[in-house]
Amino acid sequence: MIENFLAGSATLFGDPFTIGIFIFGVLGGMLFGAIPGVSMLTLAAILLPFTADLSPAQGVMLFAVIYCTGTYGGAITAILFNIPGAPENAPTAFDGYPMTQKGMAGKAVGAAVLCSAIGGVASALVMMSATEPLAQWAIMNIGPPEIFALVFFGLAVASSVGGRTIWKGWLSVLLGLLIATIGQDPVGGINRFNFGYSDLAAGIAFVPAILGFFAVSEIFIQAEKNVSGKYSAPKFNVDFPSFFELWAHKIAVVRSIFVGFFCGILPGIGATLAAFMGYGEAVRWSKNKAEFGTGKLEGVISSETANNAATGAAMIPLLALGLPGGALTAMMVAVFQMHDLEPGPLVFYNSPELIWIVFAAMFYANLSILFVGLIETKTILYLLKIPFQFLAPMILMLASIGAYISRGLVLDVIVMFIAGIIGFLLRRSGYSIPGIVLGLILGKIGEQNFAQGMQMVHYDLGTYFSRPICTILIVAGVLTLLKSLHSAFFQKPKIS
Amino acid sequence: MGKLGRTDIFEAVFWLLIAIIFFAFSFNFNQPIEIYKFGATGWPRVILFLMALVALGNFYQAYSKGSTAQEGRVGAKENDEPIEYTSTGQYIKTGMILILPLLYGLSLKPVGFYSGTPIFIALIMIAWGERRVRFILTNTLLIYAILIGLFMLVLNAPLPQGNMSPFYDISAFMLKTKTQLDQMF
Repeated sequence: MIENFLAGSATLFGDPFTIGIFIFGVLGGMLFGAIPGVSMLTLAAILLPFTADLSPAQGVMLFAVIYCTGTYGGAITAILFNIPGAPENAPTAFDGYPMTQKGMAGKAVGAAVLCSAIGGVASALVMMSATEPLAQWAIMNIGPPEIFALVFFGLAVASSVGGRTIWKGWLSVLLGLLIATIGQDPVGGINRFNFGYSDLAAGIAFVPAILGFFAVSEIFIQAEKNVSGKYSAPKFNVDFPSFFELWAHKIAVVRSIFVGFFCGILPGIGATLAAFMGYGEAVRWSKNKAEFGTGKLEGVISSETANNAATGAAMIPLLALGLPGGALTAMMVAVFQMHDLEPGPLVFYNSPELIWIVFAAMFYANLSILFVGLIETKTILYLLKIPFQFLAPMILMLASIGAYISRGLVLDVIVMFIAGIIGFLLRRSGYSIPGIVLGLILGKIGEQNFAQGMQMVHYDLGTYFSRPICTILIVAGVLTLLKSLHSAFFQKPKIS
Repeated sequence: MGKLGRTDIFEAVFWLLIAIIFFAFSFNFNQPIEIYKFGATGWPRVILFLMALVALGNFYQAYSKGSTAQEGRVGAKENDEPIEYTSTGQYIKTGMILILPLLYGLSLKPVGFYSGTPIFIALIMIAWGERRVRFILTNTLLIYAILIGLFMLVLNAPLPQGNMSPFYDISAFMLKTKTQLDQMF
């Protein structure tokens, strides 16, 4: 492994043009992740056609680097403005934004930098040492029933932590699942809920919906506060967390690495569920559950470690099985295909140099989050000093471009603004926007794997429980639900 | 009425209506799939059934405990202090802020990005309560320049050009100028 890693590093740093692409990927991912309204997906969508002029290794490496640094970059906007740069940063906002409101933005961003780097590096190391055996294990043990069970568990966790009550948490998730059913059904390709519009046959695209629910609705919320004279600018602060503050959460970091890696390794699941589960587990194991959501450093640490730990793991199903784990890894498949390559087991034998350049680049990209991220953080915190009258139209415009660019459809911009209005109204009533987004992302995956699983077990649901991983995940999901229901019926309300 | 408020009743009606309307529309694609017993309607109908069930649970919760946050919920803090509207002007201002972006989105096809964007930026600043003409003009130009510089000149991203004269001509002029600049350098 070490020889391969060194060879990959030598190829990466032996060519000035490849170094340039690497640096562009690191800075571009961080910048686009950290600009409210656009995300790493916007940058990736713009760059995709240009990768045809690069070598396959350079193209895939560029996207892998953007994936690592963009996943971290999205935490900045989640913490500073309550606008997650990507769905995987949504749980970061739960505690990150309250920390900003309390004047602790520096601590939250500092923790996000360090934990993203730790999670990412750990994940890259495991990926380099165990891609092939892990892929083999996944092939043998993970099938559609397990993926469906994990989706169920993830949705149970999301509904249990977000929203004002469990009912509102579940209604949010169910709304996301319902939106995901718009478009063709994943088994028979039959058009559903398109209301006569042919553009809806492809379904509601993730990017505009996510931008609408997160970015646009947040602008509306702030605008409403401004109109009613309740708007107060976030407090500026650049104090980083001390070593001891971070060391106190070492168990949360280790737990989130495991959670993130497990979620990342499963095809189609990716970093979003990892972040939710990392956060959910932090809440579950904490002695001070009530402090979560009010600005607890552990919340930021858990979510950011888990989502970056999933980045390396997400490369395993992509490279070993050819199955993408999210939107950005799906674009990587397109890069492979542009160069007449197919990701899958054969790529390890046919193009080992490509694999090891990508592995080495991801390792160094995660390391660079620590160094570049710390410098960037000190600068980016000054965003808080920009008046919101300037920032709001800028964010709306960037979001419009981000929504349009992904498919080149004006419909997506309209969908984004409608999602923004719905998000605004639902947030005012205590519904969970991250819950809607997670339902939207996991809906199709859940349905597809449920259908495949049912076909596999000949519609005998009991067979699901003869599979240990599946049983554990379903039982964990049911217990999570029962616990939330118990507190809904028997706990005293928080606010009178 | 227990602890029910008007909003709670409205919410229950809203969710139940969504469930009923979508259920009615599900008959439009109620076709069997040869390889899948539950067909195209199975999954959405389960979601709609659960939605109706949870909406009733939400209603019961509001009836018995009021619209209060449960302990251990996160992300609900921002809603703890609901904003009270004291004048019609506030409703109009908030309504404008919500509707303006949607109108901009709807105008993109005929008007295009290049002509519609500066107008929208200025309008949204006014809707936000900004009245300093100099501030509005300077910042509109600055934001527009940043967007054009980044997406048109650096990233060469395709943006909507509009299909109505004279907006289409303005877009064509800008793109032509950009091509000439590219050729010069």
